Amino acid sequence: MSGAVSTPQTAPATADRAPSGVGARILRAQGLQIVFILAVIVVFFSALKPDAFLSVSNFRGIVVNTSILAVLGVGMTLVIVTGGIDLSVGSVLVFSGVVADKTMKALGGQGWGVAAVGLLVACACGLGWGVLNGVIIAKGKVPPLITTLGSLGMALGFSQIMTTGIDLRDVPDVLVNNIGFGNVFGQVPSLSVISLVVILLGYVVLHHTRFGLYTFAVGSNAEAGRRVGIGVDRHLIKVYALCGLLAGFAGMMNLSFFQSTTISGQSNTNLNVIAGVVIGGTSLFGGAGSIFGTVIGLLIPSTLQNGFVIIGVQSFWQQVVVGAVLIAAVFTDQRRRARSMAGATSRTHPLLRLRRGTPPQGEPR
Amino acid sequence: MTRHRYLAAGAAAMVLLTAACSSSNTASSSSSGGTKKNGPYKIAFVQGVAGDAFYITMQCAIQAEAKTVNATVNVQGPQKFDPTLQTPIVQSVVSTKPDALLIAPTDVSAMQQPIAQAQKAGIKVVLVDTTLKDPSVAVSAISSDNLGGGKAAFDAIKQLVPGGGKVLLVSVQPGISTTDDRAKGFQQAAAADSTFKDLGIQYDQDDPQKAAQIVSAALQKDPDIVGIFATNLFSAEGAATGIRQAGKQNQVKIVGFDAGPDQVKALKDGTVQALVAQQPGTIGKDGVDQAIASLKGDTVTANIKTEFTILTKDNIDSADGQAAVYKSSC
Repeated sequence: MSGAVSTPQTAPATADRAPSGVGARILRAQGLQIVFILAVIVVFFSALKPDAFLSVSNFRGIVVNTSILAVLGVGMTLVIVTGGIDLSVGSVLVFSGVVADKTMKALGGQGWGVAAVGLLVACACGLGWGVLNGVIIAKGKVPPLITTLGSLGMALGFSQIMTTGIDLRDVPDVLVNNIGFGNVFGQVPSLSVISLVVILLGYVVLHHTRFGLYTFAVGSNAEAGRRVGIGVDRHLIKVYALCGLLAGFAGMMNLSFFQSTTISGQSNTNLNVIAGVVIGGTSLFGGAGSIFGTVIGLLIPSTLQNGFVIIGVQSFWQQVVVGAVLIAAVFTDQRRRARSMAGATSRTHPLLRLRRGTPPQGEPR
Repeated sequence: MTRHRYLAAGAAAMVLLTAACSSSNTASSSSSGGTKKNGPYKIAFVQGVAGDAFYITMQCAIQAEAKTVNATVNVQGPQKFDPTLQTPIVQSVVSTKPDALLIAPTDVSAMQQPIAQAQKAGIKVVLVDTTLKDPSVAVSAISSDNLGGGKAAFDAIKQLVPGGGKVLLVSVQPGISTTDDRAKGFQQAAAADSTFKDLGIQYDQDDPQKAAQIVSAALQKDPDIVGIFATNLFSAEGAATGIRQAGKQNQVKIVGFDAGPDQVKALKDGTVQALVAQQPGTIGKDGVDQAIASLKGDTVTANIKTEFTILTKDNIDSADGQAAVYKSSC
């Protein structure tokens, strides 16, 4: 568990923090803090309603309802580690679902073959939007916030144009019965198994590959990354492409689960995912984060909502508590940054860092 | 009042006794989907959206009726009328193992599986207000006769504009069984009357701003629209804004659906000229009765359609009119 929350010790360009030891230990501590928060929440609801909350079927429900968000969370973690943001994931999910739905309907609408083509189409759509985001951010130097706000609107708009705003429901039965509501090994939901595979792959990629190392490096200090020979622009494009690809994949999961393209239901998905990632200890300023943290960070809102429904409290409270946890998480991150920054000589103002990829004026590229 | 208290106390004592004797029995019988002759019954009510006068009125009636049949009610609702938000709530509610689930599904197909899982867990499901693609998972489905409601809305426009003309429909989004039927009922009635020309349906995704844009654009295209049927509150509010922007308050009559405090205010202010009020209280009361009948093994009515009241400025302050208005708290 402790190894899961990590910043590579070998990460180059660590002007923002202590290179090893202290920083890594505090990071690890925040990873434990959120596990602790989740544990407190679980214990709280278990104590109040042991029979209803503490059941396999209930935990199963919580996990299923977090599965799709977790897939988006993996991509979002990578993007936020680079110091960027992707607001378009919910819309890209809808767009991919719509195009996949239309394709599958055109191909006859039933069977595994059709479903496989649908999956490929959904992933391709997601990848397309991701590459577009990445190119505009890395090459066009448009801030990620604006780029993905733009693609959020475009992807949603195109989805509504293609469907005239009417949700499509042409999902092959095999997908709904085996993926959306199917189980493997008895009681384990297929949707969550798929999600777990994506999470594990994401974990390996971020924490154990050169790709992941570069991602941290770009997020810590893009200019330093450039000077040590990392193709920063290319890397950013790859990261956004991966985030888009995962949103497309999640679009297919969403279709299987809701049997509908849920066009109007995804307006807050991006913010929910970002909240989960940030609660999980990934720094909005880039350079630090973990996939494990994201998973826990996403489980907290789901568990709260489930618990409030079970104890019969208005589920509006979930927003209040999640909001508080979110602020606490960023507060912790800020304190950690302030502590590790103490003593360092030069730094970029955090707001300027939103313009990730833009070398400061007058400096050579 | 006192008599009720004695009854309640007696019932509670009986409940305690039965619970003490058969706590393990009840659990097994409810999970196998069998009958349960005696209370206390645990009822869960999942609204289509939280904080809406229609569902609050229904909730009040459900809670009142539950008291008389020795049942407790847990009420939950999503923050938006949306299946992606309602699904996790249904799953959580199923975990609390209620005897019966009264629910207003937010999507005919997306809510099918989650509700089917509740039924498989041995919970008696009653659909209130909205329905499902395959309503057979429920023991009973109770809703307004929405086709009739659409026709009633057309009749209201006809009353307001006897001479006929162009009429427009503003609805939320397709796939919601209730608003789809209201629209269908309205369009059938409009098609049958040659003095009226139906301009079709526009969808506003339950966004008043979008409804306003739609209506002002429609008035650009057809400046001689005489009536608009807005199938729910936000559509009506938006439509009224759109008409005001075009400066055609006197020409275009709006008929709204439902009679929450906001709609009633709109009617009194003159932004809306007529309201078609449903009877959410009756739906809720019938829902509880059907659920309990099913639990006791009595006869259950699979389909119940409730009536409408047409409200205008003339009858809104009468006793009947006031009874038809929805409540914002119990």
